[in-house]
Amino acid sequence: MSTAAREVRTFPGDPPVGLRAVPEPGPPGEVRLRVAPGDLRRTLRLLRASGARFVTMTLGREPARSIIVVLAHRGSLVLLRAPDEDCRALDGTLGAEWPAAAWAERELRERHGAAPRGRLLTAPDPDAIDRRVHGLDAFVIPYGPVRSGIFEAIQFQVETGGESVVALQTRPFFKHRGLEERFRGVPVADAVHIAERVAGISSVAYACAYSQAVERALGIEVSRLAERWRAVHAELERIACHLDVIAKQADTAALSVGHARFQILKERVMRLRAQLTGSRFGRGAVVPGGVRGIPAHDRNALRREIDELERDLRRDRRLFLATASMTDRLIGTGRLGRDLIDDHGAVGPLARGSGVATDARHERPYGDYRRLGLRVMTRREGDAMARVNVRFDEIEESLRLLRQALEHLEPLGEEPASPSPGASGTACGWVEAPQGELLVWVEIADGALANVHLASPSLRNWALFDHAFGADVLTDFAFIEHSFGLTPAGADR
Amino acid sequence: MNSVYAAAMAALALAALGAVALPRAGVVVAGAGSVLLTLAGVSAAIGAAHPHLTLGDWLGYGPSGLLDDRLAGIFLTLTGITAAAVMAAYAIRPGGRAQMTASCVLVLTVALVIGADSAFLLFLAWEGLTVCVYLLSSGRGSARELAAGHLTGGLAKLGGAALLAAIGIMYAHTHTFSLTAWTGARLPPGTRGVLFALLLACFATKIGVLPLQGGLPAGYGSAPRLGAASLAVALCAGFYGLWRFELSVLAPLPIWCGDALLVLGAATALAGIAYALTRDRMRTFLGYSTVENAGIVLIGLGVAALGQTAHRPMLAAAGLLAATLHVCAHNLAKTLALIAVDRVELSSHTARMDPLGGLARRLPVTAAAAAIASLTLAAIPPLGGFVSEWFTFQALLQGFRMPTLLSELLCALAAAALALTAGLAVLAFAKLYGTVFLGGPRSGRAAGRGEPSRWPGGLVGLSLVLLFLGAVAPWEVRGLSEALAPVLGLHLAATTISPPLVLTPVFPGFAVLAPTWLGVTLALYALLFMAGARLLRGREARGRRARRAPVWVTGADADPAAVQYRPSAYSNPMRVILRGPLGYRVRTIVTGAGPAGAERLVLDTRVTLAVERFIYAPLAAGVSRLAAGARALQSGRLSAYMLYMLAALIVALSLVPLLR
Amino acid sequence: MLAWLLRGLRGGRVTTRHPRVPDTPPAGLHASVELRRADGGEPALEGLCPTGAITVDGAGRVRLDRGRCILCGECVRRAGDRFAFADVTFETAARSRAGLVSDSAAHAGAGPPRRTLGERARPLRRSIHVRHIDCGSDGSEEWEIQALWNPHYDIQRLGFFLTNAPRHADILLVTGGVTTPMRAPLMRTWEVMPEPKALVAVGADACSGGLAAATGRIAGGVDRVLPVDVYVPGSPPPPLAILHGLMTAVGLLDSGSAA
Repeated sequence: MSTAAREVRTFPGDPPVGLRAVPEPGPPGEVRLRVAPGDLRRTLRLLRASGARFVTMTLGREPARSIIVVLAHRGSLVLLRAPDEDCRALDGTLGAEWPAAAWAERELRERHGAAPRGRLLTAPDPDAIDRRVHGLDAFVIPYGPVRSGIFEAIQFQVETGGESVVALQTRPFFKHRGLEERFRGVPVADAVHIAERVAGISSVAYACAYSQAVERALGIEVSRLAERWRAVHAELERIACHLDVIAKQADTAALSVGHARFQILKERVMRLRAQLTGSRFGRGAVVPGGVRGIPAHDRNALRREIDELERDLRRDRRLFLATASMTDRLIGTGRLGRDLIDDHGAVGPLARGSGVATDARHERPYGDYRRLGLRVMTRREGDAMARVNVRFDEIEESLRLLRQALEHLEPLGEEPASPSPGASGTACGWVEAPQGELLVWVEIADGALANVHLASPSLRNWALFDHAFGADVLTDFAFIEHSFGLTPAGADR
Repeated sequence: MNSVYAAAMAALALAALGAVALPRAGVVVAGAGSVLLTLAGVSAAIGAAHPHLTLGDWLGYGPSGLLDDRLAGIFLTLTGITAAAVMAAYAIRPGGRAQMTASCVLVLTVALVIGADSAFLLFLAWEGLTVCVYLLSSGRGSARELAAGHLTGGLAKLGGAALLAAIGIMYAHTHTFSLTAWTGARLPPGTRGVLFALLLACFATKIGVLPLQGGLPAGYGSAPRLGAASLAVALCAGFYGLWRFELSVLAPLPIWCGDALLVLGAATALAGIAYALTRDRMRTFLGYSTVENAGIVLIGLGVAALGQTAHRPMLAAAGLLAATLHVCAHNLAKTLALIAVDRVELSSHTARMDPLGGLARRLPVTAAAAAIASLTLAAIPPLGGFVSEWFTFQALLQGFRMPTLLSELLCALAAAALALTAGLAVLAFAKLYGTVFLGGPRSGRAAGRGEPSRWPGGLVGLSLVLLFLGAVAPWEVRGLSEALAPVLGLHLAATTISPPLVLTPVFPGFAVLAPTWLGVTLALYALLFMAGARLLRGREARGRRARRAPVWVTGADADPAAVQYRPSAYSNPMRVILRGPLGYRVRTIVTGAGPAGAERLVLDTRVTLAVERFIYAPLAAGVSRLAAGARALQSGRLSAYMLYMLAALIVALSLVPLLR
Repeated sequence: MLAWLLRGLRGGRVTTRHPRVPDTPPAGLHASVELRRADGGEPALEGLCPTGAITVDGAGRVRLDRGRCILCGECVRRAGDRFAFADVTFETAARSRAGLVSDSAAHAGAGPPRRTLGERARPLRRSIHVRHIDCGSDGSEEWEIQALWNPHYDIQRLGFFLTNAPRHADILLVTGGVTTPMRAPLMRTWEVMPEPKALVAVGADACSGGLAAATGRIAGGVDRVLPVDVYVPGSPPPPLAILHGLMTAVGLLDSGSAA
């Protein structure tokens, strides 16, 4: 296969007045603009004013080192390419101006920019205490990186006056494994294994995003059946992740039977995935070019399983919402206002719980979602209860999509199309992971990866955690954290 | 015993006079006098002796003397023990000349107040006590301490004025100053109530009953070193006044007096402990704890007064026994706590809880003493505080024996308030003890020097007394039964103590408590457990030492000083729950930019004492305005003063025909 | 609450009786890769594995290190005559790192097994407290460990309890090859645990560093930092394999090498 047809794509909507960037050719769905030196800040301001959402910022290497900023704007992705010198000009003021860009800017600056000073976001020191709050009552609780329970490592510095949470500082990057560098030089077909293991609980989403990025960069077409299977695996993963969040909420409220019921449902989903792919996490199924061999499955048994899941879920959901001791802890807790979501460019069930209807399957449909009718589930209240309700709604929507996909599902016969050895290209790939919109940027040179960047929804959404505690107290911490439903492995990469 | 009593009073007088010149010697003599006073008190209380020292007519206004009858014996005992402890502490680590002199004089005046059998002598001693209290509360003379001294002294003066008025009214009705003559005198019904109120106002300023409690916490906070402990000795005089006047001289009171005592007691107890919870200075905390305990005592007295009004001696006995036991336990424990706090202050140079922590390792003796005092004040079994609070609860449970429905309801409400108070007291003393002695240091202050002295005799002696106060409760009850017999008219030990060493709340068969056996059993359990653990450890474990590992802070190696609970944060949940009554306000103020561009915040929390806001502040403002107005009169011009004298002469002359 | 109680009762019993009645492993589950033919290997075989689990020595003898295997299946796909997904068994844990390598000759020199927790705490074998620490895993091992306490597996019936306080813990479950910021917390957690204690490395990342070992950002396995008692390979290992590892650590089983 040759590289994809690269043409200059039209700007979505009317370009903002004063935009001086030069369009570049790119794959469909991406509007690429080259920004003049020193003009990056101004361009970003213009685009933000016209309603663009910040996605990520990274360092590109092909064909030359440059800063790449990805924004989502009206159903397209806008990719800005700025020269490398601007990297040294990143001094934190962009993040101060546009909160959504704060952590991406810091990460870029600390890894590639001028020698950083002071406290590093990407190299956290668990022993350091940054006191922000003073007063007779104020003291600090450094919670983490070893957490209470079986959770991933991340540290929170909670400043409290005894019960209330006055200030909170989230410190990610305890689990930084350098996986983005691991991709370099690996052949395209083999690198999917690395992508799957960045955030193990959303392996399918990462594999899908990576595969789609490779396919778009190299112009590989995927068969409809493969796309359907990809959607099936992705929706099963979404159900498992959402059930995990809800089970954790029940556990935090000491609703033991509820916790057990949701864990039983999750275990059934995991066993179903093992049946379909050989791995409880759906690994090895999605590869660039298609889907790996699926063993023959019994369609009726599958449909029965999904129906039983839905029936049990409905019963458990009804009970969950009728348990006042559970909902009392969630209603009004961790309220996120709409403007906070917009300022930080939050995605996923987090944003949908505050009324922002952002869903990558709906904004920029990919794969089989172009054919399956998808409803985006939102709630308005913005508290933890809304986020849990959004997840319940999405599970039911996923089950409905699965039932719809099952109608035309056959075991795959052919092997996925493999990319030609000397292919080159760059592209973005995106999916709606269970945590939110995931974006993968790949640069391929001679059939091997030159550069990969993963814009994880977890990292973008963690930035809101510091602002999620309005009038909440320490005991609400676990509820708010689980209602975010994020994974540090994805954030830290 | 007469000679012992005389020797005790003489020693105290000598100490009071001589302390100006030789403070340390004076303190030692005062200590010796206190010990003798204890002996005299004990013997009088159990009825073995009846010391009486006549002072003749030299005071004027009739014969006066020092009569150590049974009731006075109880309080002389308490005074003696607590004063001896304070004087011992002074002798080991002397303070300033002025404060030691004032303390000696204070002990003398307290002994005089308790022993006086003439109201005039009592009043003189009371005023002397007021002067000592004022001098001690003024501390070293800084602005804040002077303000506290003025508050304490002013309220004490107010009490003195009320006492004078009461004495005047009694004299007008009985034409004598002798207290024995006053007991059982015929008085018009309304007068009894007025006298009750005036005398309650007077003694309330000394023991800290709402709304006149301001002097107590302020005075404790500003008194230098052991001055606060001396002020705790003065509590004996205040309580004695209540016993003597309200229950002995004026008995039986009108029924509304008993109800008022119940209500006032409940409110005082709750307010005291609620405010104590929010304090950071240790001495102010203990001052509010005294307010709380005064409230509990008042509850017991309320039941006693109602019992006397209803002519039910057993009911009165239930209340009075509870109140007396509580006074004994509280006074001893409070003095011990204040001496311990003084040692902590000497060692760490701070009066606040916040910078301290982990002092139990450096100050083991002080920590042990403070533990015993805290457990007693928090009413934890099997110590004395628990016994007295149990008796108070049981006295309230006799509500069904009350004469009127209102009294019954008030008993129930007071019981609820007492239960809440008991819970808050445990929380408050857990905060005090836990943040000061346990945990780790919160600042450099806590890592200072060791024990201020090697042989803290007063501390250890008082600790031992308190340690066994619960276990010896049956003997204490027997002694008090003898002492209170003249007031109540019955021997309560007959029904209270059922062999062997089991206590009932005066009414036999109502409820039982066996603090002696409880103490013995707990000690036995502890010993058995330790022996069992040693045996079961096995041959292998012998000789193996425990490995020490640092505190677990979820994987971080944080500086303990920054991550420990602060004392105010520890009591924060209760502050939030009681935020209405406490007037609790919290604000987060942004003060500039800190590291990494994040804002610096200051958490500002405030508790406004309702009594201060609604009573003291307006009154103080009014008095200041009055004083400012009065200053205008002092023009400094001779002509104006001549005019004032002329006006006064004219008024006096015009009064003569009126009075004729 | 009554409604929840009835709901739970109506759900019936889903708990497995494993290990008393061994659970039938689900067919087709990729739990481990086995080496079918060990000799006559070309050096090119080493390039099949992204983590370097396949080694071919000078004599052409092929070795498969299960501690590095992330079950990607590349070797099965490209050299299907030599490698295959093994019949599923949950007894994959090993007491030594050498025990994870396929070649039985490598067991020589593994030494006697360390004195196990069970021997030291014989009367307490029905009450083992487990503490978990994440030192850089990908998140899936945490799900599998959490699953052990769900009603399907419910290892509380075997006497394993979760604890948050390392001072109360007997076994430390470590996931993830140790990242630099997590080194000190891991050491502190281990230090604070009282004797007797055991350390179980769960997952390929913890056994050998997994995929990320080549980046230099991680230590390359927990055994570079602390002595490991039991290795549970897999990416991630299924819950019953982790259970097997736990029981090995406690000494309830006498597992010396891989199955």
